[in-house]
Amino acid sequence: MSAAGDSTAGAAGAGPADGPIGSRFDDRFLRKLESLALTIRRTTAGRSHGMRRSRRVGAGLEFADHRDYVPGDDLRYLDWNLYGRLERRALRLYEEDEDLSIDVLVDASASMAMGRPAKLDLALQIGAALAYVGLSNLDHVGVTALGAEAAGPPPGRGKARILPILRYLDAVRPPHRASRPSLEAAVREFLSRRRGRRRGLVALVSDFYDPAGARAALELVRRNRLEAIAVQISAPDELAPQLRGDLQLCDAETGEVRDLTISPRALADYAQRHAALLRELRGYCRERAISCFTVTSEQPFDAVVLRMFRTGGLLG
Amino acid sequence: MELHGLAQVIEGASGALSTTAAAVIGAAGAAAITALYLLRLRRRRVVVAFAPLWLGAPGAERAARRTRRVRHWLSLALALGLFAAILIGAVDSQRGALDHGAIDRSGRSLVVLIDRSASMSATDEAGSRLAAARRRADEIIAGLTGADSALVASFAADATAESGFESDPRRLSRAIAGVAPSDEPGDLQRALAFAAAILRGRPRPTVVLVSDGGFTDDALRLAPVDPDGRPLDVRYAPVGRRADNVGLLSLAARRIPADPGAVETALVVQSFRPTAATVGVEVLSGGAVVEKVELSLAPGERRRLTLPNLFAPDARIEARLTGTDDLADDDRARATIPPLPRRRILRVGGPDLYLDGALLGLGRTVHLDRLAAADADQAAARARDYDLVIFDGVTPSAPPKSGRFLYFDPQGPGSPFAPAREARTVRNPVLDPASLHRDHPLLRQLDLTDVNVAEARRFALGPGDVALAASFDVPLIIARERPGLRVAALAFDPRRSDLPMRPAFPLLVANALAWAARDDAGAPAPSVDTGATVRDARESDTTPVRTLALGGQVLAPPDPPTRHSHGRFRSWALILAAALLLFEWFSYHRRWTT
Repeated sequence: MSAAGDSTAGAAGAGPADGPIGSRFDDRFLRKLESLALTIRRTTAGRSHGMRRSRRVGAGLEFADHRDYVPGDDLRYLDWNLYGRLERRALRLYEEDEDLSIDVLVDASASMAMGRPAKLDLALQIGAALAYVGLSNLDHVGVTALGAEAAGPPPGRGKARILPILRYLDAVRPPHRASRPSLEAAVREFLSRRRGRRRGLVALVSDFYDPAGARAALELVRRNRLEAIAVQISAPDELAPQLRGDLQLCDAETGEVRDLTISPRALADYAQRHAALLRELRGYCRERAISCFTVTSEQPFDAVVLRMFRTGGLLG
Repeated sequence: MELHGLAQVIEGASGALSTTAAAVIGAAGAAAITALYLLRLRRRRVVVAFAPLWLGAPGAERAARRTRRVRHWLSLALALGLFAAILIGAVDSQRGALDHGAIDRSGRSLVVLIDRSASMSATDEAGSRLAAARRRADEIIAGLTGADSALVASFAADATAESGFESDPRRLSRAIAGVAPSDEPGDLQRALAFAAAILRGRPRPTVVLVSDGGFTDDALRLAPVDPDGRPLDVRYAPVGRRADNVGLLSLAARRIPADPGAVETALVVQSFRPTAATVGVEVLSGGAVVEKVELSLAPGERRRLTLPNLFAPDARIEARLTGTDDLADDDRARATIPPLPRRRILRVGGPDLYLDGALLGLGRTVHLDRLAAADADQAAARARDYDLVIFDGVTPSAPPKSGRFLYFDPQGPGSPFAPAREARTVRNPVLDPASLHRDHPLLRQLDLTDVNVAEARRFALGPGDVALAASFDVPLIIARERPGLRVAALAFDPRRSDLPMRPAFPLLVANALAWAARDDAGAPAPSVDTGATVRDARESDTTPVRTLALGGQVLAPPDPPTRHSHGRFRSWALILAAALLLFEWFSYHRRWTT
């Protein structure tokens, strides 16, 4: 993990607090972003820049931990000694210092525009914060809005890269087409563009409202030997909807319309399904040693990012 | 929620609903409600992030659709049921009005006139005649149609409106229950004039008289008319079952001046029974019975009863009839007798225990002053300050010109009565009973038989002098009445007779005081006529009148009541409508119905 020195920051040009970038990233956001970067930098002070310690299967020299074997893992890294003693299939994890490549994928589908406050706003702020922290640490950072019309700025290193990233993210709008793009397809498209780049970390910020489920997209990331981080965002009114009576429900992405009478039982069923969706996501991430964070759109982005760094292992 | 608006429209229109209109409204309303339910209402569109979270499994959704469809039709059935209930209530009301097709009573204005006079307190009906009248009035009110309005009034000597014009039977019943009995006579003409006045200008005016019919012939002589002179429709609902009453019609009493503790009482008792009656009459003074008399009365007989000399020291006396009859109000009469005025007496002379005893017997009704014999002239001069001056064995120097005096044994030049030619006295005079003037107030209730007198003077009678008692030609008791002057004299010294030993002596002194205190017209000043009862003899006649004629025209009975079922059906229909509304509301908010 690399630490962003002051000289580097100065060489990278002006910080994000030099002025507002669009309406989404105002002065207040930029000040908080700078403050967040400083906080994280103090936490990681003393390490050589451009280096980040990651836990990977099979790479590196220093044993770090075990994780449960799942089908598809390379059997070469199975800890046979452990299997002989405990009959437990586990893979050996090694810590490796590397120059990290960070890709932040923000789901910009129509469903992300729902909620009060909108989930997309928090997702973009989190994406911007992760990118800025990564750039501050001289990591190789790329940002992609999945489902957006325009492609993101090319990945790069140095804090000066933050400005095009912020402009890009500020211009992201949910699509108007009435079709639900699969999260897996969007990730697949991103990976096809990324082909040839080094291994690294992919942070996927989404509501994971996908009929195919969340695991397909994350599994795709993982199979490309990328370390995945899942950030699931729900709006407060999605956790506890205030709908009552006879309604015509319209899906934000597909435009499909269905009549429904919202009764207490219907609300209970909804809550049960929503909880099951989150439970499945967390279970999958736990199985795959993927850091998973579930947040609500009313939470401040800096608190979310700080929590990710402090509790999610991003600080190494 | 559309059911609520529909109910309001239907209820608002049901006030003047005919059967045909009800059928049209029913068909149109049912069609409208069905159309509203067949047309799918546009639902509020809500965009959600991920619709699959809201929708269950396809099978469950199909079941929910079926259930929703069933609830949809159930809601339609509820709406139609509610509409039908309200419509039935409205139509049933009209049917009730049309049930008695022979009688056109649509939109009547009724005044229910309840008699609350004294005779209505008779108990020949359950409770009383007034209670029966209230029940009868309630029946009349319950028989009104929805288009009628009624006012409850009551009358005795005056007429009173107990309510305004109402169509609500409950309010009218409360007004009927508030009619209170009275001990006044009933003034029918005044009550009818009152009813006619308040019915003026109202549609189809009708008066229903609820009474026992105890009115005078004068009250029944005039036909009822409204203020414009047009005939007034008056119906008569009789109450009362029998005539069983003996009434104490009047009580009069006066105190006897000569005896302040006694009263003279006169009563009038009448039987209103169709058979002979025997009743007891009791007179009470101070709560104690002082006289009891039993009377046998022929049917309808009126008896005047005089009780001349009752001992009744209390100022209040009461007369009451004993026995049982239907009307208790006329079985008692009370009178308060004013006290006698306090008289002033001046006694002149030496000690005389007999005279003092007689004066003491007058009690607190007299104020007594005393002067010695030497002050006889002074007493004569002060005579105008006293009701009576008694010269007991003394005579002033000159006969008085005015005043009221009682002389015992006057003598000398000052005697008011001149001596006779033969001046010598008479020894042992014998009182001649034939000479007694028993009707003179001085001798009232006096028994002077065999009075022994030792010696009497001889007086010559002047003009206007009366010898009330004499021994042959010798006057023994003399009375003189002249303008401004009354003089009574005993020609003998009572102390030289046995008169003071007899009861006649204090009575003679009391009579002298009463005679002296009479005014110049001769009326007995202390007597009073008081205590006449306030009862009207007509009210004691409890004979019920089944058929009443006013102005020679027999009053018709009230219209028979309308079919009561309509109120019941209407109430149930409205209750059902309310229940359906409640159920619809509850199910709507609980999302049972679509």
